[in-house]
Amino acid sequence: MIEIGRICIKLAGRDAGREAVIVEILDNNYVLIDGNVRRRKCNILHLEPTEKKIDIKKGASHEEVNKEFKKLEITTWETKPKEKAERPRRQRKKKVQESKTEKPEEKKEEKPKKEKQPIDARIVSVTKKKEPAKKAEKK
Amino acid sequence: MPRPSKKSRSLRRIHVKTPGGRTTVHYKYRKPKAAKCSCGAVLKGIVRERPYKMKKIAKTKKRPTRPYGGVLCSRCLRKMLVEKARNK
Repeated sequence: MIEIGRICIKLAGRDAGREAVIVEILDNNYVLIDGNVRRRKCNILHLEPTEKKIDIKKGASHEEVNKEFKKLEITTWETKPKEKAERPRRQRKKKVQESKTEKPEEKKEEKPKKEKQPIDARIVSVTKKKEPAKKAEKK
Repeated sequence: MPRPSKKSRSLRRIHVKTPGGRTTVHYKYRKPKAAKCSCGAVLKGIVRERPYKMKKIAKTKKRPTRPYGGVLCSRCLRKMLVEKARNK
């Protein structure tokens, strides 16, 4: 009864009562199982073979087993690889750096032009104011 | 003489040896009875504690993780599953 493709029911452990398929025969006592259970090595004594059988190759993957199980309407789960989450910290750092680099350049360009003009204007204004004041005192 | 409330026989008496070499009696509440399967076998891997201690223990440490864990013994579960598989 124990051969590749035989559907069994697991009798022991957290997956007890669920359907499994023999994927590979490892030993006199042990087989590799998959299906509605965790894919793992299993003792033959912990399996109860049923009349059902499916066509799979030796060492078939979980996806191949899933396809065959869907035909028999046995529930299984599909393994999904986790999507890599974006790292918000690095983005924030980049934004800060950009803003920092942009700001000082603008200031450097603007400041000298602005400062030069008012300083000249102030000096002129001060000198202009002082002169008439001195003249007034003399008079 | 112990306090009258400590004379109740629902309390368990524990003899404790103190650091001074004297033996004294401590009083504690008794533990609940061991959980049993319907076949009469004592269920293993189940914690026997008072409710206030059971609160602190994780669920996975209180009973086996297999289906019907803490209700049926492993032998009864195996029989049940084998019968189901063969009758189908």
